[in-house]
Amino acid sequence: MPPATIKRKTDIGPPDYQKFLPPIIQRNYGKWVRHEIPRPGVLVHTAESGEKLYSVRAGSPRLLSIKTIRLFAALADEFSGGCLRFTSRNNVEFLLADAGKVDPLILRLESEGYPVGGTGPSITNIVHTQGWVHCHSAASDASGVVKSVMDELFPYFGSMRLPAKLRIAFACCLNMCGAVHCSDIAILGLHRKPPKINHGTLFKTCEIPTTVASCPTGAVRPVTVDGKPSLEVIEGQCVLCGNCYTVCPSMPMNDPEDGVSIWVGGKVSNARREPMFSKLAIPFLPNTPPRWPEVTTAVKALVELYAAHAQPFERMGEWIERIGWPRFFRLAGIPFTRDHIDDFTHAGETYKRSVHLRRSPAWNLGG
Amino acid sequence: MKKPTPLVDELEKGPWPSFVKEIKKSADGPMASDLLSVLERSYDDKIGHWKHGGLVGVKGYGAGVIGRYNDLAGEFPDAAEFHTIRINPPAGWFYTSDVLRQLCDIWERHGSGLTNFHGATGDAVFLGAKTVELEPLFDELLAAGFDLGGSGSALRTPSCCCGKARCEWACFDTMAVTRELTHVYQDEMHRPAFPYKFKIKASGCPNDCVGAIARSDLSIIGTWRDDIQIDKTGLAKYVAEGKPNIQRDVVERCPTRCMRFAKGQLDIDNDECVRCMHCINALPNALAPGKDRGAMLLVGGKAPILGGALLSSLLVPFIKLEPPYEDIKELLVAIWDLWSEHGKNRERVGEFIQRIGLANFLEQIGLDPQPEMVAHPRTNPYIALHEDKP
Amino acid sequence: MSDVTVEAVADAMYAMVKECHGKRQLKAIDLTKAMAERFGDACDKPLGKEAIRLLIEDERCTYSYIGGSYIVLTPEK
Repeated sequence: MPPATIKRKTDIGPPDYQKFLPPIIQRNYGKWVRHEIPRPGVLVHTAESGEKLYSVRAGSPRLLSIKTIRLFAALADEFSGGCLRFTSRNNVEFLLADAGKVDPLILRLESEGYPVGGTGPSITNIVHTQGWVHCHSAASDASGVVKSVMDELFPYFGSMRLPAKLRIAFACCLNMCGAVHCSDIAILGLHRKPPKINHGTLFKTCEIPTTVASCPTGAVRPVTVDGKPSLEVIEGQCVLCGNCYTVCPSMPMNDPEDGVSIWVGGKVSNARREPMFSKLAIPFLPNTPPRWPEVTTAVKALVELYAAHAQPFERMGEWIERIGWPRFFRLAGIPFTRDHIDDFTHAGETYKRSVHLRRSPAWNLGG
Repeated sequence: MKKPTPLVDELEKGPWPSFVKEIKKSADGPMASDLLSVLERSYDDKIGHWKHGGLVGVKGYGAGVIGRYNDLAGEFPDAAEFHTIRINPPAGWFYTSDVLRQLCDIWERHGSGLTNFHGATGDAVFLGAKTVELEPLFDELLAAGFDLGGSGSALRTPSCCCGKARCEWACFDTMAVTRELTHVYQDEMHRPAFPYKFKIKASGCPNDCVGAIARSDLSIIGTWRDDIQIDKTGLAKYVAEGKPNIQRDVVERCPTRCMRFAKGQLDIDNDECVRCMHCINALPNALAPGKDRGAMLLVGGKAPILGGALLSSLLVPFIKLEPPYEDIKELLVAIWDLWSEHGKNRERVGEFIQRIGLANFLEQIGLDPQPEMVAHPRTNPYIALHEDKP
Repeated sequence: MSDVTVEAVADAMYAMVKECHGKRQLKAIDLTKAMAERFGDACDKPLGKEAIRLLIEDERCTYSYIGGSYIVLTPEK
């Protein structure tokens, strides 16, 4: 370590990725011609040269002990020449040049408790946030819900039987560090009570105009309490987004009655249909640690409904668009409530403005 | 283990890898052990116990460290300070076992031993450092060739898919662009000077594996200009296998219906193709993107806070994206200058564009309006006067 | 037009942060804009940036984060 008096060289940026690429990738960089998925969790990429790269993908809980990272490093030494990478969905991928080492690696990974899968029309790892493990504004625990849901959906990780890929994301509050707004199924933590204002500290910790400006609905207003500047929240106007708390620590929102909501039909890929946002399916489910049975049951039911009804290559949102939202709610057995109707900035664009409607069994035809 | 944790212990069960087991692996140290106890409390009282923010960082930077304090400090002193360190990973998240072990050794000396590989923005995250450890930890990271990522009202750590390293569909060198922009804009990343956060993500093709269109302020998404490449041998194999059903699953799922399949031949009207990737995804051993490859640039994607979620919208329909990438750098600087000057506090660039109008934004950054930039032209007749009007 | 030194800009910025302490949170752009007004063209953006860097590096100021990043007085140890 350099002594403190020597000015250290900062802003060096990340190390060059080229140092970490396996030799087979260095030789074939930009020269891949095709790939196959011979079994769930294994990708085989073939280069112009005819060389083949075997990627073995294993699920991880994202939150990793350095002991597990050292285990991954040891496995990489034994099976993939010390080379590995992580995916954008927190899976770990071992990059092998030797086909003969694929099966032994899979056996080892699974015996260590890291399942192999998450490729093709499967359910891969859930992208998620910190939750109660490490976040100040979490309305739910991320890791616990994700673990419970993935335990329930485990057979879908190691198989490729769905109509198309199904991406699940979890964010523990509306800040959406996990950007769940474009996922096939999104689980989103929701606060249920307006901020509790600490008038004794607010004038010291928060800037009044910034906090007022942080409210998307104008529900936060300046007031004077005991001669000190403070804020009030017009409760009927508050949409429980937590943004005022983000800029003002004296307006905490965390509450034991917080819970989660379920959203469906979003995607980021441009394949077929353009990218689309997830839409509200279930407005509220309670926090029921440690296993969140209401959430796992709801998510599993949605997955099974999709698996049973969608056509090959149809993502969740494409399937729902084809059958229409009224039929989706009916099939899913989810009550449609006033919460499902948008009332924010572009709400008007979401109203039905035509008479194109499929008939509904509720109309009691011929009855 | 200091105290029993019956609730979170439930999450050691089941087939999916358990984060509780991970915390316990590091719980021979006092920090992870206290973290587990704090979490058990949250599972019991259904409320988080982390306080809001804190004034911590490494000397000279305004980013890369997120202060985190616990409200149960008296009971669990070793989780009282549990700061997050964001470490800028190598582009594409490629590592060697040696460099991972080096990072583990550093973290074992200075923190809880818990990590995220990786956090939501794409950084490698060290979870749980005490304030006194920040400077020595940063020194060791620098010595190992690593630097901190972005946080706050700054450029956030750019991220990308694995691109040309392992994908035949990569239409530009995602990892090279990401590395270049990350290195050129270290100051923008480490010394927050923007109205709010700014994210850059690069996906090599329209499948957008890093979710650039939804998760970044500047989305770089690969595309091509010439014809989809057809490998006749590969196609014949699919035809022989009968899987997928080419007529139903490929031709009829094409969003522009620009293909015809007859007598084992696939004809593509490439002028009508919108390059969505579906047919290529469905027939990976027969079809491939064209050879004249580059990227589209889109701007303004974000999650809901504050004015609602936005997908990025098209800014540049095609750019070759070749070193030294001067064109994209000029555009970025033009956007940052305009937004820094006129953006409101905590206004993302997508919201800024909505407020001032896309037409004004284009004029200010020096781009001409094009029909590709809109889903459709305006439907309302409220057209303001402009100087350049006849 | 007189030359303006980084130190002079940094001192003026520091005075502004001190004056606003407890009243208004300043972002980097607030400081550079105010300096451009005060010193005119002599204080361009790069100079403003350099001055902020100086303030942070000699620990007169530090970055704080509450929803956004601000430049504040370094708290007494």
